[in-house]
Amino acid sequence: MAMTILVVDDSATMLLSLKTNLAMNGFQVETAGHGQAALDKLNSGLKPNLILTDINMPVMGGMELIGKVRALPGMRFVPILTLTTESEAAKRDEGKRLGATGWLVKPVSGDDLVRVIRKVLPGA
Amino acid sequence: MASAAFTSVQPAVPAHSQLGAGNPDALEFDRKGRLNRIRRRLVSEGLIRTALLFLLWLSLSYALGPELAPYRLRIAALIFLFVALPGLLYKRRHFAEARRSVAEMWAFGQYKFSEISNMLASRKSLHGEIGESKPYIDVLHGQIGDSIAESEREVIQVIEQIGLLIEQSNLQREHIGRSIQSGKALTESTHARVESNKEIIAAIEMQMEEQTSELRTNFERIQGLANEVGALTPLIKVITSIAQQTSLLALNAEIEAAQAGKAGRGFAVVAFEVRKLAVLATQAAADIGNKINATCKRVDSEMDAAKASIEIHEASKTMGHLVSELGQMQQEFSANSELLLEVIGEVDANYQESVNRLSQALGHIQFQDVMRQRMEHVQAALLEMREHLLLLSAKADDTAWDGSFERTFRNILAGHFEKYRMASQTVTHLNVAGGDSSANHSRPAIELF
Repeated sequence: MAMTILVVDDSATMLLSLKTNLAMNGFQVETAGHGQAALDKLNSGLKPNLILTDINMPVMGGMELIGKVRALPGMRFVPILTLTTESEAAKRDEGKRLGATGWLVKPVSGDDLVRVIRKVLPGA
Repeated sequence: MASAAFTSVQPAVPAHSQLGAGNPDALEFDRKGRLNRIRRRLVSEGLIRTALLFLLWLSLSYALGPELAPYRLRIAALIFLFVALPGLLYKRRHFAEARRSVAEMWAFGQYKFSEISNMLASRKSLHGEIGESKPYIDVLHGQIGDSIAESEREVIQVIEQIGLLIEQSNLQREHIGRSIQSGKALTESTHARVESNKEIIAAIEMQMEEQTSELRTNFERIQGLANEVGALTPLIKVITSIAQQTSLLALNAEIEAAQAGKAGRGFAVVAFEVRKLAVLATQAAADIGNKINATCKRVDSEMDAAKASIEIHEASKTMGHLVSELGQMQQEFSANSELLLEVIGEVDANYQESVNRLSQALGHIQFQDVMRQRMEHVQAALLEMREHLLLLSAKADDTAWDGSFERTFRNILAGHFEKYRMASQTVTHLNVAGGDSSANHSRPAIELF
């Protein structure tokens, strides 16, 4: 059974390109335009195997989302990768403190992204 | 120098600066008035001083008594000579100096006036021109915004096209997969059928050989029988000849019996009957001959049919050829199936390569998001610049403005540096504005915690 990835980004091009790429590599993809939309999906029963999120988004940013996801029951050990233009070390450290699994700075080539996802999702 | 500067800038003085206290004619009038006032003040001071000296002289004259009366004129002359005259001369020189000072002040004031007028006019122009920057910056902002939206639309189109390509490739891959399964099944089924057919054909071949052998035996037997039947034909000729001779003998006997008369009457009847029998024997022999001929013809016909049947059965040897051809066909089919499977395997590998390349291409498309964010920062900076310019424009129009700024472009630029999210933004900033852009303090693009 295909593993599910929740992709969170406010950019329509990012959402579509990530969805296409991940689906092509055998993953099932759910998308959300900002942190709050992602949180609503998780609260309505979605159980993704991995979350891939942007950091700077309207309504709710990636940092806040990571903190809130970690507080949800059953989501403590779900890998959360950030895919963002933020390259500041301080931001990375904050993401790590909040519970992010990895930090990816855009642009990341499609095969690198899939390789990292397979690394944090054994058996994918 | 000052007048030259004044002359050079004089035509730039706008009409509005000719009004009120700044009018050069009014200043000229004031200059003459000021000189007259100085002159009047000096004359009044001289008259007052003279009057005071006169009172001093009178006081001294009455105080010293009548003994000094003859010297009153001399004392007055001495006072005028040593007190009033130097004062008058000093005042005159002071007036001349004041006149020169006023003239210099006038020239300087006129120069400064034109300078201030030009500055005011420049500030007015600057106010108007800077105010015009708003639509200019708004258009740039809009152009960037529309470009971002357009690039986003186009990139989405590209991604959708890639998605369609991937869907088609997946469908083709599924077709190919099904073809592989069908091809394998067909190969196995054909192989089994060919093997089965080989056995059936071998059995048929054996049976047909037996039948051919039997047919050949029968044919030889029929041929022997036909030969025997054919051998009866000369006997029929003998019987016919005997019957004909018997008939002639009976006729002769009848003739002899007739010649014998009454005694030969009984013999004539016998001879007649014998001749009748001979005729019947001849007819029977002819019938037998005809029937033997007919039988021979039928036997020939049957022989031909048997021969044809044997030839047909002998032709069944081609069945063996067919079996070997069928085997070859099977081998060729197997070889082609393997080739097909090989080609399909290559197509599958190419598909995986295409997937990797498309995956990379989709990764590169992230440039649009990076560019969008950089452009959005530029848009925000343009709006900030617009607000700052409008503030400058308002200040340029404010005559009470003391020239101080709450914010400067330097402050704003420094503020941008703090807001950058991407290392590339920082590098560009340092490359353009100055600074060490070679120092790389950033961490790797992919970092797993």
